[in-house]
Parts: sequence; structure tokens; C-alpha cells
Amino acid sequence: MAAVALVSKIPPSRCRIRLVESDEIGIVGVGEATLPHIKNFNDSIGIDEVEMMKAAKATFKLGIDFVDWGFKGSRYIHPFGIHGSAEAGLGFHQQWRRSVSEGRDWDLEEFSFACMLARDNRFDFPPTGKTTINSTFAYAYHFDASLYSQYLRRVAELRGVTRIEGKVRDVEQDSETGDVRALLMESGDRIEGDFFIDCSGFRSLLLGGKLGAQWEDWSKWLPCDRALPVPTERCGELTPYTRVSAMDAGWRWRIPLQHRTGNGYVFSSRFIDEDKAREELLASLDEPTLAEPRLLKFQAGRRTSSWQRNCVALGLSSGFLEPLESTSIYLIQIAIMHLMSLLPGRRHDQRLVDEFNLRMDIEYERIRDFLILHYHLNSREDSELWRYCRSMEVPDTLERKMRLFSHSGIVEQYKDGLFTPPSWLAVYLGQGLTPAHYNPMADGIPRDRLLGELDELHSDIRDRVDEMPKHATFLARYANSEQASEALLHEAEVRL
Amino acid sequence: MSERVQSVAVVGRDAPVWLTAAAVQRALGRTGVRVQVVELDSRLSTVDVYAAVPSLASMHRLLGLDERLVLNVCHGVPMVAQRFSNWAKGAQPYFIAYDDEPPPGGDLPFVQFWAKGRLEGLRAGVQEFSLGTACARLNNVPVPAPEHTGLSASYGYHLDAGLYSELAKQLALRLGVEEVGGPRNIHVDGDRIEGIDLADGTQIGADLYLDASGSEARLIGHLESASFESWGEWLPCDRLLAANAPKMPTLPTFSQISAFNRGWIGLFPLQTRTGVVAAYRSNVISDAEVAELASVVARIPISGDAVVSELRPGIQRRPWIGNCVAIGHSAISVDPIDALDLHVTHGCISHLMSLFPATAGDFPEAAAYNRSVRSFGTNLRDFQAAHYLLNGRFDDAFWDGVRDVPMPASLKRKADMFDARAEVPLNDDESFYEQGWVELLLGCGIQPKGYDPRVDSLSDEAHIQKVQQRLSDVSGLARRMPGVDEFLGLEQRASAEVSG
Repeated sequence: MAAVALVSKIPPSRCRIRLVESDEIGIVGVGEATLPHIKNFNDSIGIDEVEMMKAAKATFKLGIDFVDWGFKGSRYIHPFGIHGSAEAGLGFHQQWRRSVSEGRDWDLEEFSFACMLARDNRFDFPPTGKTTINSTFAYAYHFDASLYSQYLRRVAELRGVTRIEGKVRDVEQDSETGDVRALLMESGDRIEGDFFIDCSGFRSLLLGGKLGAQWEDWSKWLPCDRALPVPTERCGELTPYTRVSAMDAGWRWRIPLQHRTGNGYVFSSRFIDEDKAREELLASLDEPTLAEPRLLKFQAGRRTSSWQRNCVALGLSSGFLEPLESTSIYLIQIAIMHLMSLLPGRRHDQRLVDEFNLRMDIEYERIRDFLILHYHLNSREDSELWRYCRSMEVPDTLERKMRLFSHSGIVEQYKDGLFTPPSWLAVYLGQGLTPAHYNPMADGIPRDRLLGELDELHSDIRDRVDEMPKHATFLARYANSEQASEALLHEAEVRL
Repeated sequence: MSERVQSVAVVGRDAPVWLTAAAVQRALGRTGVRVQVVELDSRLSTVDVYAAVPSLASMHRLLGLDERLVLNVCHGVPMVAQRFSNWAKGAQPYFIAYDDEPPPGGDLPFVQFWAKGRLEGLRAGVQEFSLGTACARLNNVPVPAPEHTGLSASYGYHLDAGLYSELAKQLALRLGVEEVGGPRNIHVDGDRIEGIDLADGTQIGADLYLDASGSEARLIGHLESASFESWGEWLPCDRLLAANAPKMPTLPTFSQISAFNRGWIGLFPLQTRTGVVAAYRSNVISDAEVAELASVVARIPISGDAVVSELRPGIQRRPWIGNCVAIGHSAISVDPIDALDLHVTHGCISHLMSLFPATAGDFPEAAAYNRSVRSFGTNLRDFQAAHYLLNGRFDDAFWDGVRDVPMPASLKRKADMFDARAEVPLNDDESFYEQGWVELLLGCGIQPKGYDPRVDSLSDEAHIQKVQQRLSDVSGLARRMPGVDEFLGLEQRASAEVSG
């Protein structure tokens, strides 16, 4: 991602880019779910959507379906969209909350176009430049991360990135400044550079290994430290959402791709052993497996300053937050965007470094708090992990947000960083935190008018959703990779 | 379920108290909330002018106050920009205008393209690319344009303060606000207001008390845990002198803010007169000296008596304590520079309305209000402090001393990033767009030494074309905008008088 972005946005007169990579080192990604920002990223660097979706066997994603999270039997969608009409603005949920006080029994979800579309397994593009109800959402993709990275590698090379195959043996540093001077390869080659981007994954070859960046451990809030991914066949109706189901000692993902389904169990080794986890995972799958689950180990946290001297670490080499809200690729992408605007000249400028690290601090902390919310806000009595999370002390920044929401449904807003009020709202309510009161401004509209307007919106959403094509049908027409096309068309025909 | 807030008492004076009461009444009157105003003696005299940044127009829309009415009643003149002179030795005057932001998600900010051009020999200053500045130079007013150039600018107002306060009062009363007379005694118990004895011998109580008394902080200042944080270090003026001058023969659409060796003097044009304001520090110059200097510096004869008041810039550490919320200068006492007086009131009202308490009793909303108001105020302070701390008046003892004070870290970050990258990172609760900061920091003498490298992906020809296009769009559009007399309808009035 970094190589394509840099070569696409920064002209060769400014810098020349070389990519050092080894085919011998496998990649962690199994099936990846993304956030709508990925589309902006792809668009901004001139990636063709259809081509990318075919290459990475991608499907569309409208949100995440949370099963059994707040309590067993509960279910909610965190949508990529707002609740209510575009004109209603952020106060919509206050009006909805009032309608509940007035005796209406409906979920806020029923007023989210994205949620209703997802629940019905339908998809079409939101019209641009409109304020109609069917424009109140954005979308992301599920894709095969290794296919996506292969695709990007081809694009990068086509656009002028030189790729060097091989493994790094050691890193040469300037003895005075500590700057990275060169990569020493196993082949004996020495690769010099003015600036280095460390995308070496958990090993963090440069940043962690050589520059000694400190690790900040967040596992007391995010106790999961293992993942068991397993691919299965793709059967059943193609969902336009990721499903994440809470388990006794963690949670299980299900990500539909064109050619298979990605699954996996993220768990805490403090609360379950690996064998038991494997057993639970295999017993819970919807579809036949295509391979054996393989274990990944990690720890939640980050390196405190991911830009040091002349080196920036991206992705896993800078930190790791569990994939619950599909933030891994977003964090890579946002770091690239910040890096591009702050890319230094030959001379070291500490002001740029500090600015980058400050922006990344904000990104990480906001995502961290949002993730913790999913664990902390539960009323599950059935297992130790959930009891632990409910009673753990959470960061003050999160505590105060929850206090404000639980009183009167006010969602704290911020300009920088991921997750806007509709996301917080969906998770607060979905996890079972219903505000005790609502903002008195919602009483400004006469009762009958309010309920009349809500009734109308409710049926408008229903009607418009019914007009949308099924996700599988839409995808088959738009961007099917060849292998998948026949099966999908068949599936579509059967249903039609 | 606890009870709703049923009664709100607003204590204060002049425009802030009535604007606050009107806003609460308009939003919640229909739900049965009773809004009472306890009015303190006015601090205004016939010399005072409210200079207001464009946010006041959105406040008026919210209150249903018609622009024409405001301008006519208050002898108002649109404030398209502010012009700053003599803030650095040998430097040209600069403008801070209020150009609108392009919609998000588009191209890099235009300043990036300008910064690259500048480093490669472009002669035109950033001012040439601002619609607001171009209009101000022509004494035109940037009304919404029919053409789609992607350029637009907002404007604020110069208003007669006394007349505007009266207008706000009439509006509030018409909306249903109750006027209950002045206070004789305010009962405080620890961190709660218990009630107010009125001059007529009656007493009122309310679920929520709003303090719009200005820097006096008549309510909040008496609560047990109230504490005031001074910003005097960065905003050095502690005295304000206001006076009148005759109407300018040609009405400008900007305020003129001129630094002199021990402070600054502002000229604020109205349809009938010109407001003159001087801000300075009392230990370096006396009121009498300023009164004499003012007409010389401002190059305008001062008529009548000058009125002097104290300035104490700073912020209440907790502007909402118990059942008392500070609004406007009782929460954040800003410097008179940059025309932020009513804006502070407006900002506090907005934060209060979005956090309006769901129940009476204890108020969990207070913590959020205190945080938002603090970041809102800190951003304003930094904007104002830049004028002082980054001044270029070398060899003036007063200004040299001010320049030696270290910048607050939050301002330093902006100045650093502008210097390094022509970019101004904005915080939550900012009042000025990036363009405003750019005009300010450039005016303060920071010339960016770099720019966003993504600018380089545009070819040289395309880059030059983009810059040229913007230049001609701005100047063309500005010329087509109405002049101030046309905008105010003064032309017709003048001819009607002649013929009548």
C-alpha cells in the first residue's frame, strides 16, 4: 500500500521508491474486512474498483453484524451509515428515543438504510450528490488480503517502483545520529536509502529491532492474544457484512469473499487453551473447512513513536489492535496519508516527526477506546472473560463518553480520528446501553407530527430497500472474478 | 425519572444576556421551559461598537432575526475582513477575511499550491487568492454568487452596540422571555445558586442559572470552586479605551487595526459614525496619553469623551459548576482583537444547547461543556496571541517584551507546521478555518519553507494554470460583487432624499 501510494502521489523528481520484499516470508492476512476509507484511498491513488475487486475476489461490506455481544441472544449491526434521514442530522436518535418514550417499539436500526440493506442481503451504490435516504451510507470491501497485496505490488511495479527480492540480514545505522543508512541483505547486497518505511510486520525489523521504539501494552483492556483463522467454502446467501459472534473466551469472525469464506476465532489465552479454542471454532462453523486452522500470537498495543529518525513503521510493525472493527488496514492507510503530507526532504526536521507521532497517537487511542467499549459494555454472566471485561477499569477518555451517553444519549464528537457518532451510537445501543433520558430539544416537535414523520421514514426505507438488488446478483454483474462468476449467476438465477 | 429543567434564569447585561435568553426560549419555550432575565446595568455607552465575525449571521438565522433589519436598526456595516497595519516593521498591511472552505474530500488546500509557487518565484501574495480580501479592498460585499467558481466568502458586521442590545432585547421579549428586573442579592450556597432577590423585593429561583454578566462573572465567580485562569501572559493588554469619530466619507467593508508602539487602535465603521477602540497595557502608557494618541494613529478626529474599561483575558477553569453555566465573557474573557466578543457568547450558547441538561438536579453534561468550552476558548486565545507573540515590531520595548514570551504549545504546533509545510493543523472546536490561520501566520511574518509533497504530482504547466485560474476567478468575482452602498441600499436612500 505504501509503495503504490508513494509512487502514485509523489513524482520521481522528489523521490525514488524501492520495495524490498521476500517471497519466502508469508503474509498474515487471511481474509480481510475493511472500512469505507479504503475506497477513498484506492480512488485517490487511481485504483480501478472493478479491476481490484476481481483481482482480490472482493465482496461489498455495509457494516458488521454483532451476535451475542452485549448479552447472549442479542444482535446488532454497526453500519457504515447514519441513522435517519440526511436532513435530520445528529439529533435523529434523540427523536427516536423520544418516540420510544411515547410507546413506539422499534429499534434505531430500523431507521438505518445501511442496516436494513444488510439485513436483507442487498446492495447497490449510494447515489452521489443527493440527500435521499438511499444515499445515507458508504461501503467497504471484504477481500483476500494476499491477493490485494499482490495486486498492489503489480500496480506499484507498473508505476515505477523497483522491487528487490530478498531477505534483510541486518540494518546499518549512522553511528552518530542513529539514522538508518542501509539494509544489508542475505545476498550480500547493500541497499542504501534516505528514508526507510518499515513494513516488516510483528518483527518490526527497523523500528523495534534497531531504533528501539518502546512498546505500550494494552492487553489489560484488550485481553485477546491469539487468533485461529480457518477458511471454509462459500455457501448460503452472500452477506454484504462481516459477522462477528461473541464466544466464551473471545469472538469469531465470518468474512464472505467471492471464492471462500474467511473464519477465525480471536481469543484470550488467559481464558481458554488452544485445543479447546480449536474445538469450539470447528464446532461453530457454518461451512466445510478448506484448510486446518493455524495459530497466530499477538499482543494488543503499539510502539509509542512509530516515526523515529529517518524511519516510519506502518501496520503490524508499529502496533496491533485486534481485527474486531477492521481497523488494521485503516491504520496502515492513515499512516501513509500522514506520512505523504509530512514526508521530509533530506534534512531531518523533528517538527514533522513530532506531528506525525501526535496524529498517530490520536488515531490509536480513539480506536482503542472504541474497541474496549465492545468488551466492557456487556451483561454476560456466562463466562470469565466477559465478567473480567465488564468490571475492568477503562481509560478515562472512554469512561466519560459512556457516562454522558448513558444519561442523555449525547455522543461525544471529535474531528480527527476514526469512528463518527453514528458508529458510537450503534455500539452503545447494540451493547445494551440505553440512555436514561433524551435531549429536551427533541420535545420541540409536537408528538403526532414526530410520530407521523418517523412512520413515513420507516416505510420509505422499507420500500426503497426492497427495490435494491441482492448482493450476489449485483456483484456478479459488477465485478465477479471468473471462477466465481458461474456459481454466483447460478445462485442468483435460482433465487430470482 | 427525574424532572426536566423547567425554569432558566439568565443574569447579565447587554446583547449577551438577551441573545442567550432568546436562544433558550426559541429552542425550549415550546416545551414549557420558562426563561427569566435578571438584567444588570448596562456597561455600554454611545461610543461602543460590536464588531462580529460571520458566525453572528448563523446565530441570527437560528433566532429568526432578519439581516436587513439588523443592519438598518443598528446602523450596521458588513465586516468583510479586518485589515492589520504596522504589526511588523516595514511590512505591508494584511487582511484576515472569512473565505468559506471548499467541501471536504477534494483537492489539497489551495495554500499548498500557492506555497510551492511562492518558493519558485510567484509574486502574488496569498491575499490575492482570497475572495473576501479582494472584496474588502474594493469595499464590496461577497454575497452568494450565481456562478459556480467554487469560491465564496462570508462576512460579519459592525453594529452599534447599544442599538443591537436593544434589538436583541425586543426579540427575546417577543419570543416570550420574561424580564424580571435587576438583582438586589444573589444567594449562593457552596457550588449552587439558591435564588435571587430582586430589586422590587420579590425573589426568584430556577433549575438552571446562566451567567451572561461578562468578565464580572457575577454568578459563577462567587461559587466555591470557581477559579479563573489568567491569559495575561499571552494577551498583554489590560486596558480598553473606546471613543467616537465621525462617519467615514467612504464606508470601508473592513475594520482597520493599527499597531502603535504600546498597543493597537481599531477603527470600526458604522453608517452614522466610526467606533474607535484602543487596547494597551496600563503600566506602559496612561489612559490620557492613549486618548491623545488615538486620533493621530487612527488619522481621524475623535469627538466627545472616551470611555475606559479594564481587560482581564482568561478563562474559568470550570465554566459550568453546579446549577450555574457561564456564557460568553464570564466563561472566556477574550482580547478585543479579531472581533470575537459576540462570537464567544454564541459559541457558549451552541455548546450549552447541544448539551442542554436532560434533567434538573445534578448535571453530568457539565463536564462535557467544560471540556468543549475550554478547547473552544484555547483555540481563540491562540489566534489572538499570535498577533502579539509573533509581532515584528522590533526595537519597541513593549513589543520586544511581548515577543520574548514563549508561545503556548498548541500555537507553537501550528506555527511550526505552517513554517515547515504551509499547513495549519486544526483542533476540535476551532472557530477559524485554515485559510484564516494562514492569513494570520503569513501576516505575522512566517513564510512557509516547504509544502505538501503531493503538490508535485501536478505538472508545472498545470500548476501555473491552476494558480492563474484562481487569481482571475477571485478578481473577476470580487469585481462583480455589490459595493457597500448598494448592499446597504444607501444609494437609493440618498437619491430619494435629494428628490424628496
